[in-house]
Amino acid sequence: MAILKLHGGKQATCTRRVATVLHELQVPFELIEVDVANGAHKSPEYLKIQPFGQIPYIDDDGFLLYETRAICRYIAAKYPKYGLIPTEPKANALFEQAASVELTNFDPSASKAGLQLWIRKMGYPFPTDDKIIADNLETLEKKLDAYEAILSKQRYLAGETITLADIFHLPYGVFVTYAGSESDSVMNRASRPNVARWYKELISRPSWLAYLDGVTTTTAY
Amino acid sequence: MVLKLYGMPVSTCTRRVATVLVEYKVPFEFVSIDVAKGEHKSAAYLQNQPFGQVPYIDDDGFILFESRAICRYIVDKYPAPAGTTPLVPSDIKGKALFEQAASIEYSDFEPYAYPAVREKVFKAMRNLPTDQAVYDSSIETLDAKLAGYEAILGKQKYLAGNEITLADLFHLPYATLLAKAGSDLMTTKGPNVTRWYNELCERPSWNAVKDGAKSFSSY
Repeated sequence: MAILKLHGGKQATCTRRVATVLHELQVPFELIEVDVANGAHKSPEYLKIQPFGQIPYIDDDGFLLYETRAICRYIAAKYPKYGLIPTEPKANALFEQAASVELTNFDPSASKAGLQLWIRKMGYPFPTDDKIIADNLETLEKKLDAYEAILSKQRYLAGETITLADIFHLPYGVFVTYAGSESDSVMNRASRPNVARWYKELISRPSWLAYLDGVTTTTAY
Repeated sequence: MVLKLYGMPVSTCTRRVATVLVEYKVPFEFVSIDVAKGEHKSAAYLQNQPFGQVPYIDDDGFILFESRAICRYIVDKYPAPAGTTPLVPSDIKGKALFEQAASIEYSDFEPYAYPAVREKVFKAMRNLPTDQAVYDSSIETLDAKLAGYEAILGKQKYLAGNEITLADLFHLPYATLLAKAGSDLMTTKGPNVTRWYNELCERPSWNAVKDGAKSFSSY
């Protein structure tokens, strides 16, 4: 059986999300870099695989899949022993609730602010906008007040054990902190101690630390 | 105890849940939340839904919010009606392709359909000034994204394969408001999107709730 191939970018935001989950699940994979700088992701051949012209996608022994959260869910379902998606019906429903919270209440503002902050930090030659960053961080602050309420009653977003719903907050959960400092950022405020606790746990995970300098082919764990 | 759906009758997310409840013929009681008076931001409401949003369900004491999570829970709990395929596949690859389609809805459709509808429909309803530039750029991006849909739907009937799934139904509340917002993209982008969209609009479950969610005690 062929090694799983992750087609994406070494530093690309969504590629890093998938790599983090592959690492959590101890799945060997080969990173195949897509030449985004030269528009490889918009070629007719690429669009046959990913019709929206985005990275990443995976090739799992011939099975092609795109959309990072779908990829992560697929791998987690293949390796249920890690419990990253609970199977008991009510626990599963609470996982889906938490996964939807990430999508609807975190990602819209975190990805808009986070992408721009990441571009600035990496020094990429793309335009950024102070107002977009500020407005989205403001929205995020309010959303995180609700996270504080949730996380004051339980350890993670879906309950007492970590699930994909928590991990999906990477990497944008890290990028939005580039607007602050290590001791005070939107994810790490004295006024939201439970969010800070949860956030620090997430970024301490080996799966996140493994690719701080970018995603690399990982054949052994 | 019968399932209770708390929401606003014409709210997009409330009708998304109601559609799936009707698809699966689940009896439910609809409880209207007075959003105009800010009931969804009250301390009591925030105990059940900490983000102050509608809808949520109370299924015999089990509280769940986020419309897409509620829909998934319904499909997981109840059997598909006789003669129909489940709205979420259970085999690992079929499920993965469903998740891909569900993610497309949330990443490639909603971020553009929602702002367009907000500017031209929701804000108008509340006599608030609309931002034409936001509407224009949202529609421009949605137009480009629907090219991806056109390609997918040229090879298969629905977004996850040849059977309808939740991923298709999730589009209904915002897709059907685009015309009211001033965009006919759903029926002009291409023949495949048009075919798929028109089929979705004909679903009896959607038609039962499109003008407002309400209680269903029997089917």
